[in-house]
Amino acid sequence: MAYRISVDTGGTFTDVVVADADGGMTIGKALTTHERIFDGMNEAIGNAAEQLGIGLDRLFAETGLLIYGTTRATNAIVTKRVAKTAFLATEGFPDVLLLKEGGKFNPHDFSKDFPEPYIPRSHTFEIRERMSSEGTVSIPLDEAQARVVLEKIRALGFEAIAVCLLWSIANPAHERRLSELIAEIMPGVPVTLSHQLIPVVREYRRASATAIDASLKPLMQAHLKGLERDLRAAGYRGEILISTTAGGCGHIDAITEKPIYTVGSGPAMAPLAGIVFSRLENLGDNVIICDTGGTTFDVGLVRDGRLTFSRDTWLGPAYTGDLLGIAAVDMRSIGAGGGSIAWIDDGGLMRVGPQSAGSVPGPACYGRGGTEPTVSDAATVLGYFDPHNFLGGRMRLDVDAARLAVAAVAERIGLSVEEAAYRIVSLASDLMMRAVGDITINEGVSPRESTIVAGGGAAGLNIMKIAQELGCQRVVLPKVASALSAAGMQHADIVAEEAASLVTLSTAFDTEGVNAMLADLTARLEAFRAGLKDGGAGCRIECIAEARYLSQVWELDTPLARHRFDGPEDVAALVESFHQVHERVFAVCDPSSPVEVVNWRMRLVVHLGTQPLTAPGTIEVAAPPARERRNCYFGGSTPVVTGIYRAEHLEPGLRIEGPAIIEEPTTTLVVYPGMAAVVSGAGNYLLHVA
Amino acid sequence: MTDQTRFDPYMTAIIANRIDGIVREMTNTLLRAARSAVINSARDFSCSICTADDQLLASAEGLPIHIFGSHMQAAAMRKAHGDDLKEGDCYLHNDPYTGNTHAADHTFMVPVFFEGEHLFTTVAKAHQADTGNSLPTTYMAGAKDQYAEGALIFPSVRIQRDHQMVEDVVRMCRARIRVPDQWYGDFLAGIGAARVAERRLKELCTKYGKAQVKTFIRDWLDYSEQRMAQAIRKLPKATLAASGAHDPFGELLPDGIPLKVQVSIDPDEATIELDLQDNVDNVDCGFNESEACATAASIAGVFNSIDPTIPRNSGSFRRIRVHLRDGAVCGRPKFPHSCSVATTNIADRLVNLTQSAMAQIGDGYGLAEGGIGLGAGMAVVSGLDHRHGDSRYINQLHLGSSGGPGAPEADGWPTYGIPVIAGLMYRDSVEIDELKHPIEVRYLRLKTGTGGAGRQRGAPALEFEYGPKEHPMDVLWPCDGTHYPPKGVRGGGDGVRAQHFKIAADGTETELPNIVVDRLRKGERVRGHHTSGGGYGDPFERAPAKVLKDVLDGFETIERAERLYGVVFTGSLEERTLVVDNEATLARRRAGPA
Repeated sequence: MAYRISVDTGGTFTDVVVADADGGMTIGKALTTHERIFDGMNEAIGNAAEQLGIGLDRLFAETGLLIYGTTRATNAIVTKRVAKTAFLATEGFPDVLLLKEGGKFNPHDFSKDFPEPYIPRSHTFEIRERMSSEGTVSIPLDEAQARVVLEKIRALGFEAIAVCLLWSIANPAHERRLSELIAEIMPGVPVTLSHQLIPVVREYRRASATAIDASLKPLMQAHLKGLERDLRAAGYRGEILISTTAGGCGHIDAITEKPIYTVGSGPAMAPLAGIVFSRLENLGDNVIICDTGGTTFDVGLVRDGRLTFSRDTWLGPAYTGDLLGIAAVDMRSIGAGGGSIAWIDDGGLMRVGPQSAGSVPGPACYGRGGTEPTVSDAATVLGYFDPHNFLGGRMRLDVDAARLAVAAVAERIGLSVEEAAYRIVSLASDLMMRAVGDITINEGVSPRESTIVAGGGAAGLNIMKIAQELGCQRVVLPKVASALSAAGMQHADIVAEEAASLVTLSTAFDTEGVNAMLADLTARLEAFRAGLKDGGAGCRIECIAEARYLSQVWELDTPLARHRFDGPEDVAALVESFHQVHERVFAVCDPSSPVEVVNWRMRLVVHLGTQPLTAPGTIEVAAPPARERRNCYFGGSTPVVTGIYRAEHLEPGLRIEGPAIIEEPTTTLVVYPGMAAVVSGAGNYLLHVA
Repeated sequence: MTDQTRFDPYMTAIIANRIDGIVREMTNTLLRAARSAVINSARDFSCSICTADDQLLASAEGLPIHIFGSHMQAAAMRKAHGDDLKEGDCYLHNDPYTGNTHAADHTFMVPVFFEGEHLFTTVAKAHQADTGNSLPTTYMAGAKDQYAEGALIFPSVRIQRDHQMVEDVVRMCRARIRVPDQWYGDFLAGIGAARVAERRLKELCTKYGKAQVKTFIRDWLDYSEQRMAQAIRKLPKATLAASGAHDPFGELLPDGIPLKVQVSIDPDEATIELDLQDNVDNVDCGFNESEACATAASIAGVFNSIDPTIPRNSGSFRRIRVHLRDGAVCGRPKFPHSCSVATTNIADRLVNLTQSAMAQIGDGYGLAEGGIGLGAGMAVVSGLDHRHGDSRYINQLHLGSSGGPGAPEADGWPTYGIPVIAGLMYRDSVEIDELKHPIEVRYLRLKTGTGGAGRQRGAPALEFEYGPKEHPMDVLWPCDGTHYPPKGVRGGGDGVRAQHFKIAADGTETELPNIVVDRLRKGERVRGHHTSGGGYGDPFERAPAKVLKDVLDGFETIERAERLYGVVFTGSLEERTLVVDNEATLARRRAGPA
C-alpha cells in the first residue's frame, strides 16, 4: 500500500500526517469536531489529499494503515463525563482515593478546598476481606457481604466497577473471586482489577489507575467502535491502530481492555518523532523533545534511543490531581506558551504566567478583545510575526493592540515597549529552559550532549534561545513541527506491556520465583503476539526491573540484558546495571548496599516496518539576500533590518544567518543575531545557536 | 552591561528562577536517595540556600519550621570555623542551642566558594529515623534535660574536608545510632543534596559573574522585603493577643503549659512584632522550644495569614520582629533543658495562636487553629522483624493526620498533618509501611462527624488501628490535644480531642494517656485518632448544599448537620434520597443555635 495515515485529535485541531511510500510527509489540519470525531478527521485527511493532488476516496483506497491518537479519554476525565463507577476497597480503607499520597506545594496557601477524589466517597464500597503483606489471608473474603454490596451497586445503576484491594498484588485470590461475583450479578458491566492492570506496591497508585481505567471503559469502547464503523463506511479497508501513552500503538480490542493507556497518548508520540528526526539528521540517540503550544510547554526525553517512562504522571496538578500510576512516556508539562501573560508584581519584579489568555479572548494581537500583554503580543511588537501573513495568512494580527498591552508593562519598569517585549520573550524562554532542566537533571542527562527536536506551532519563536541557555549545540526544527505528535505516530510500533510485582533482594535472590514470573510474563506476551498479523514478525521483548537500594522506596527503571537468571553472574549483572542507573541519576552509588527489585515489566515491541528515513546530502551555501525585510528588535530599542524568508523559496543546503525570520505556513522561526539556520536535505531546519 | 546600582526586574527574575531550580534539585536528590521512610516517604526534610553573611536566600517548598532558622546554623558554622572554612568542607549541625530546630534534625552544610570567596552556604536538613537517644524515639517527651535525652550532638562538626569523609564521625554515629546502615544512607543523601547545590551555584556564578550574583542577592532580599511591606500595609493597625495551652504531662505538668502570643501590626511602619516573652520558664522535659523553632513557628503563623506567594527569606523576615526571653519555654532555652520535641508540640501551638490572633482582625483574615498531636498515627515504632532474620527496624510512621483548619475561603484538609507540616509532607502508604515494618493496619479512615463546625469547617480526624505481627514492638508518641483541642475562630466550632486505646489480645480496651512509651506484644493493638481542625466562621452561614455534600461523603452526620449547622433534611441517606429541606432549614437557622 502506498500511504500510511496518522491522526492526532487535539482539543482544538485535528492534525493529520500522510506518509507516502518514500516517507515523505504531508500535513492536513482541520478543527476537531467533538460530537463526531470522524468529521474533523475526514476533513483533515481531505485537506492532505488535496495537497497530494488525489481524491479522498483514492487516498483511503491506497492506505494500508491508519493510526489514531485521541484526547477523548483525557477530555472525558477533565470534563467529568466518565462512567458512573463504583470503587470496591478493603473494609476499613475507604479513603485511599480521597487521601491520595498527601503533599501540597505552598505551606502557607489555605485558599483552596481539598480536592475531590476521582470517585466520590459515596460511590466507594467496602468489602470484608484482607490479605497480608506476605500474601496470606488475614480475613477471608466474606462472599455473603460482597453479594449484598454488589446487589446494591446493581440497583443503583453503576456503569463500571474498579476493584483495588490491599495486597492483591501479593495474593490476587480475593480480587479474582470478586470479579467472578460481579460477572454473575452484573454480567456485562466492565470491571478493572488492580492486580491485573497495574501490579505495583502502594495502594493509592494502584487504586487511582484502576479507578481511571474502569471509568473509561464504556465510553472508550463506544468511541473506538464508532470510529471504526465510520471509517469502514467511508470506504477505508486497511488496518486501524490506536496510539497509547506507553509510546506505541495497539488494536482496538486490546485498547478497550485497558483504555487508561489512551490518556495522554498524543504527547507520548512526540518523542517518537524526536528520535526519528534526530537520527535522520545524524544527530544521535539522546534527544530532548520540546513541544510548545498556546498554553502549555511539554518536554520529553529519549535516552540512548529509548523512551523514558514515569509512574508519576498526574492528571491535573501534582499531589492534588489524579495519578495515572501506569508507566507512561514521561512528558512533563508546564503552563507556559504564547498565551502566557506578563505582569509586574507589587515588589516590582517582572513575571510571566502562570496566568494565560488562553484561546478566548487570546492574546491582544488576535484582536478578540484581549488586553493583557502575552508572549505572542511581545513577539508581535518585536516584529517577529508578519501581521498580514500569520499562520499562512489565516489570521491578521492587531499590532496596535499588542503594543498597547505591552506598553503597560514597559511603563512600570521604565523601558521602551520593544525592550520590555524582548524581556517578556526571554523570561518565558527561561521558564521553559528550567522545565527542560528539571527533566534532564532528574534523569541525569546532559543537555549539552543531547539534540533538541522542537515541535508545536509556537516552537520557532524561542527554541534557539532555550537551546542557547541550555548549552545545547544541536537543534532541529522539523518541517512538520506543527504536527509533531502525528508525525511520531507514523513511526509507532505495536507495543504490549505486562508487569508483575515480586519483591526480591540481590543478596537473597529468588531465582526460581523470578524465572517463573518472567516466564509467565513472556508467555502472556507471546500469546498476544500469536494473535497479530504475521504472528508479529520482527518483534523484540524488552525487560525492565524497577529496583532500589534496600530501604529506599523510590524505584529506578533498570534495563535487563537477559530475561532469565541462570546463575549468580546474572544477578550480579542486574546489580551492576542498577548501580550505573543510580550513579547517573543521583551522582552517587552505594556498592555495599543490596539491591531490591520490586516490580518487573516486559514490553513486546512489534516493528511496523517503516523505512528508516534518509536525508539526501547537501552542500551548504549561504542563502541569497531575503526578498523581504522588516524591522525587528532583539533586545535594544533601535530596530534591526531583518531578512524575511518564506519557506517556499528555500532550498536544501541554504544557510540563513541571523537576524532572520523564516515563515512556514504553520510556524514562524526566529533566527536570533549571531545564530544561523540551515535547511537540511530532508527539508528540516538545523539550528546553530552559537 | 548591567547597571548594578538599580533594581533590574528582569535579571532578578531570571536568577531567582535559577536559584529556585537549584533548591528543587536538592530536594529531589534527598527525597529519592534517602533510606528511611521518614525522609523518602514522608518528606520530613527541607533544603535551603543561605548567603555568605548568613541570610536565608531561598527555600522552595521546605517546611517552615525547618528552614526559617537555617541562617542561624550557617552563622554557627562560620563562628565555629572562621577562617578555616575551606572549599571541599561539609559540616553536620544538630545543636538546638546554636540555631538548629531539635537534635533529631541533622543538618548538612556546604560552604560554596567561587574564585576563592565564600559566597553561599547550602543547607539540607532531614529528620532522622534515630539519633541515638536513650529511648528509641526522636521525640523524647520525658527527657528531663539534654543529657537524659541522649542524642549525639554535633555543633557544626566537620564531616568532610577536601571532599573526603571524616570517618571518625561516621564511626561515632555507627556506634550509637540505631540501624546504622539506614542512618548512613540518609547521611550520604544529605551530603549529596548539599553538594549538588554547590555544583549548580558555581555554574550560576560562572555564567553571570560574581558581581551580578551579588547584586542579585541584594536585590532579591530587598524585593522580598518590599513584598512583605506591601502585605503588611494592607492590614489594619492592631495589637492582638491569643492564649492557650499545651496538654498536661503526667505529674510533672498537671495543668499543661500555658502559652501566650502577642501580635502588633503597624501598617505605617510596615512591621509586625511578635512578642513571646510573657511565657513560663523552661520545663524539665523535652517540650522546650529552641530559638529556631520559637521564631519559625510564630513567623509561620503570620505567613499563613498573608499573600502566600511572598518569598520566605531574610528579606521578608526583616519586617517581622520576634521578641523572645532567655529561659522561657518558648524563647531561648536555658542549657541543659531538652528541646527534643521542639519542632512539633509547642511549635504547633505557636503556629495556631499566631494565625488565630490574626483572625481577630476581621472576617477574611487569619485561620482557625489546625489539628495538633503527634499521636499513634505518627508514632516512632521499633523492634525486630521476624521476616528478615530478626533484623532491627526503627522509624516514624506517617499514617495518621490531624485535621486542617478552616480558612476564610476554604475548608480544612484531611492530609494536613500538624500545623508545622501544613499539608506539605507525604502520607505513608499502608502497603509500604507493612512491607517495611512487621505490622498490620486494621483500618485507616476519616472519622465521620469530627471536623470543627464552621462556615468553612475544619477537616475531620483520621482513625486507625494497628499492631505488631510476631515480635513485640515499641511504640512511642508525645500526643497533644488529648486535653485541649484546637479552637475554632470567628464563631467556628472547636476540633475534637485526640483519643487512644490499647487493645489487649482478648479484645479488652484501656484508654491511653497523651504521652505514651509502651510495648505491644503479638495480638495487642492500638487504636485511636488525633485531633480535628477548628472551624472558621458561623456554621449557620455554611451553604446547606455543602452540608448535604458533607453528609453524603461521610464527613458529617445528619444529627450534627441539624444541631451544629441548622440544616434539616428529608429523604434517606441509606436509600440515597437525602435532600435539604429548605424551609425547615431556614426556620431552624432563624431560631438560632440549639
